Amino acid sequence: MLKRSKNYSPNNHNMEHVQSLVNEICPTTTQAWVKRGAILVDVREKEEVQLLAYDVPAIIHIPLSEFEIRYKELAMDKELVIVCRSGSRSLRAAGFLINHGFDPVKVVNMKHGMIRWVQRGFPVKGDISGIVDANAGGCCNHGGEKKSGCC
Amino acid sequence: MNIKVLGPGCPKCKTTYNNVLEALKQTGVEAQVEKIEDIEEMMKYNVLTTPVLMIDEVARIKGRVADVKEIKELLTQ
Repeated sequence: MLKRSKNYSPNNHNMEHVQSLVNEICPTTTQAWVKRGAILVDVREKEEVQLLAYDVPAIIHIPLSEFEIRYKELAMDKELVIVCRSGSRSLRAAGFLINHGFDPVKVVNMKHGMIRWVQRGFPVKGDISGIVDANAGGCCNHGGEKKSGCC
Repeated sequence: MNIKVLGPGCPKCKTTYNNVLEALKQTGVEAQVEKIEDIEEMMKYNVLTTPVLMIDEVARIKGRVADVKEIKELLTQ
């Protein structure tokens, strides 16, 4: 089921910002989307993906730093679930796609990113210790230190 | 002049905002400075990497901290 309105805030884990541009789904719903053929689009940077990758049948990796020039590689007629580490960068990427004509019904953001994906025990390739250790923080958390590829 | 610093409130965004204030102080240029942390507002500008420094609605620096020297140069162009 699509949820359109609430968004994870990178600044405060107790607050949620309201946004209406991008539909968001949780990792569990993402599993259902994947089963029916949706493509995951991972916007984390290369070094993050080398450490830990989503293990799904269909995935495209376009780092956020290259997204502006490479987003046209994505098919506009496919269902795309945009993912990252915490759901913050992927939200911006999903918004970017919708602003560039992609269908907001077919392009969604996965809330809470790899952090929640790992917590749920969904399949990954690589070392999850970095995610588990940083569980309390997250990218761009208020007052926190910058993580690799953050923001 | 209107200056906007777009970012989710991370350290890099705060540094950029502070650098803008310092650059304005050093140059004596008058400007309205806004810090935009709201995700929906940011998406209106198609922001991907943050922070973004916008001067008069034009994105001048994206995805990195703008230092005081380069902001001063942008202000006095």
